[in-house]
Amino acid sequence: MTSMDLQDRAQYLSLALFSQKVVSALMEYVDENKSARLKPSLGEALESLLHAKHPSVSSRQRVAAFNSYEHLRTLEEVWSARDRGKAIRMIRAVIRAPKSPKTKAVADELIHLFSELQNQALWNFEQPKPVSQRVMQRLCRLA
Amino acid sequence: MSAGLADLLHDAAVLHRFVDFIEEYCKEQERSQTYADASGLFFQYVEKLAAGVKQELGKEIERATRFPKRLPLLRSNIWTLKNYLRLLHALIKPAADAHTLTIPAPLVDLASQQLQRVERMKNSSIVILLTSELMYFQRPHTDIKDQARIVESFIPKASFPPKLGFIELPYSQGPSFFTNLAIYHEIGHFVYEELSNSDPLHPDMAALKSAVVRSVRKALGNGAKDPEAFAIAVRIIENWIQEIFCDLFAIRLVGPAFSFAFVEILGMLGFLSQNATLKFNPTHPAAACRFAEHVNLLRDDLWWNAIANVDADQKKLLERLAKLPRSSYKFYLDEKTLGPQRLVQVFLDVVVPAIRKLVRQVTPENATAVKRFENARSSIEDCLRVGVVPHTPTAGAPDPVSVINSAFCFYLTSLPKVVKQFEGVKAENDVAVHSLWTRRLEMWTMKAIEDAQMQDRFRRIKGAVL
Repeated sequence: MTSMDLQDRAQYLSLALFSQKVVSALMEYVDENKSARLKPSLGEALESLLHAKHPSVSSRQRVAAFNSYEHLRTLEEVWSARDRGKAIRMIRAVIRAPKSPKTKAVADELIHLFSELQNQALWNFEQPKPVSQRVMQRLCRLA
Repeated sequence: MSAGLADLLHDAAVLHRFVDFIEEYCKEQERSQTYADASGLFFQYVEKLAAGVKQELGKEIERATRFPKRLPLLRSNIWTLKNYLRLLHALIKPAADAHTLTIPAPLVDLASQQLQRVERMKNSSIVILLTSELMYFQRPHTDIKDQARIVESFIPKASFPPKLGFIELPYSQGPSFFTNLAIYHEIGHFVYEELSNSDPLHPDMAALKSAVVRSVRKALGNGAKDPEAFAIAVRIIENWIQEIFCDLFAIRLVGPAFSFAFVEILGMLGFLSQNATLKFNPTHPAAACRFAEHVNLLRDDLWWNAIANVDADQKKLLERLAKLPRSSYKFYLDEKTLGPQRLVQVFLDVVVPAIRKLVRQVTPENATAVKRFENARSSIEDCLRVGVVPHTPTAGAPDPVSVINSAFCFYLTSLPKVVKQFEGVKAENDVAVHSLWTRRLEMWTMKAIEDAQMQDRFRRIKGAVL
């Protein structure tokens, strides 16, 4: 048997820490012109966002985020489908041209998006909600 | 000082006091207690993390003074870090409570040694926690490890020990032996998590994961394109997989004694009513389904033949539940609401065969364990019958798996006779006397296991057969 109290909530904390990692790398880049952690962090974020579009369990261990119900639910709560597309485009733009002067403004916008995600994940960690009845009903209808 | 900076400084100071306390607390436990297996490693991780967090807090304040517009983000970072420490906080006290005087240390040592022979589990170790719940748990560690990996990118000196599992025992069961065989099931959860996260995946784990995808797609049809419904269906199937995997894993390591212990635990918790045994819920498969898998494996591994003459109610219950038709299993989302039955069907048809194969592949062969048990059982029972620690006059202590299974069979079938023999006919129906003799039987069993371990250690050191 697995313990259910903090365990369920731990998924939200993982997402908050993941967002913090991305935000920290972006802040170092924007504020201090340091880019050592930029590509690895954004690469993970990009891969995770792309994976969220095509759910499967076979590659679960290779993506850093958006691979569980709690992550997907938080993502849905904070970012619209349009936001996700925008985030993917912005991440690609930062990775492609980190030295371009315009890129810092894009990175600043990304900081805003990921800090919203971090805050929502922290909120859900504090105030966990059960699996939505809507999703359970959908599951019953589908199977 | 701006109000924002003052708030950040306040938060940082609160966190500083918190980590300072847990650092000192861990050091104090290490100084004053003795722990089984890996608790010390865990405490050392917490100490290093605490020292690193205190340094990091200073850097965050310095950053805030240079870039005041980042104050809200830096507060969120401190909040996030505090919550990670909160998760660890929930582990530290139960780990500190689980020193060698409060847990069945010889059993933990034995399980830990056996774990080394499981595929991909070499150099793994266990931290025992004492829980206030009357239930055995494995504290899933994948999230903590993922989180620790991210935290390490901020605090590089604190590396979470690799291959560390957390097993929780009810504090009231610490001194017991038979029910504590449940820790093998919990270790199964640890192994399953490690196998799920290993890169590359074990081929049979990869096959199991594919079976999950196939089965969910089959059950949901076009609905599999709904990401949330897909994620929930996968989670339910994964929950069921883990319970079956862990049961079979435990049986492969300790034989039928685990099944008997499991019956005892479910009975103690009141989970063996006719209706309850047929119910799947989102976290557990039906007990009847689990027992069917127990009996199948025990038959295949020849344990069932070896205990053919054990006439115990627990064994009869196993047999009866295992025979119930699969069509009688029902999936309930809660007490009253029926869930999607197709998930159970695909689970049994597609997924369970893949679980059986994975368990066989990762656990050591146990044909010799069955033979050793058959050879040693009568001499072990002879010792217990006259109230002495099981031993063999010529070959030293019998092997632990034989001791565990013989003692459990003896407990189920012969305890009343021993009570009558030592305490007289008047004590036959005395509950307190039965409880006392159960305790004695458990102590002799535990001592025999400790003797076997000592002897094994001696052999390894001397490099010679006694």
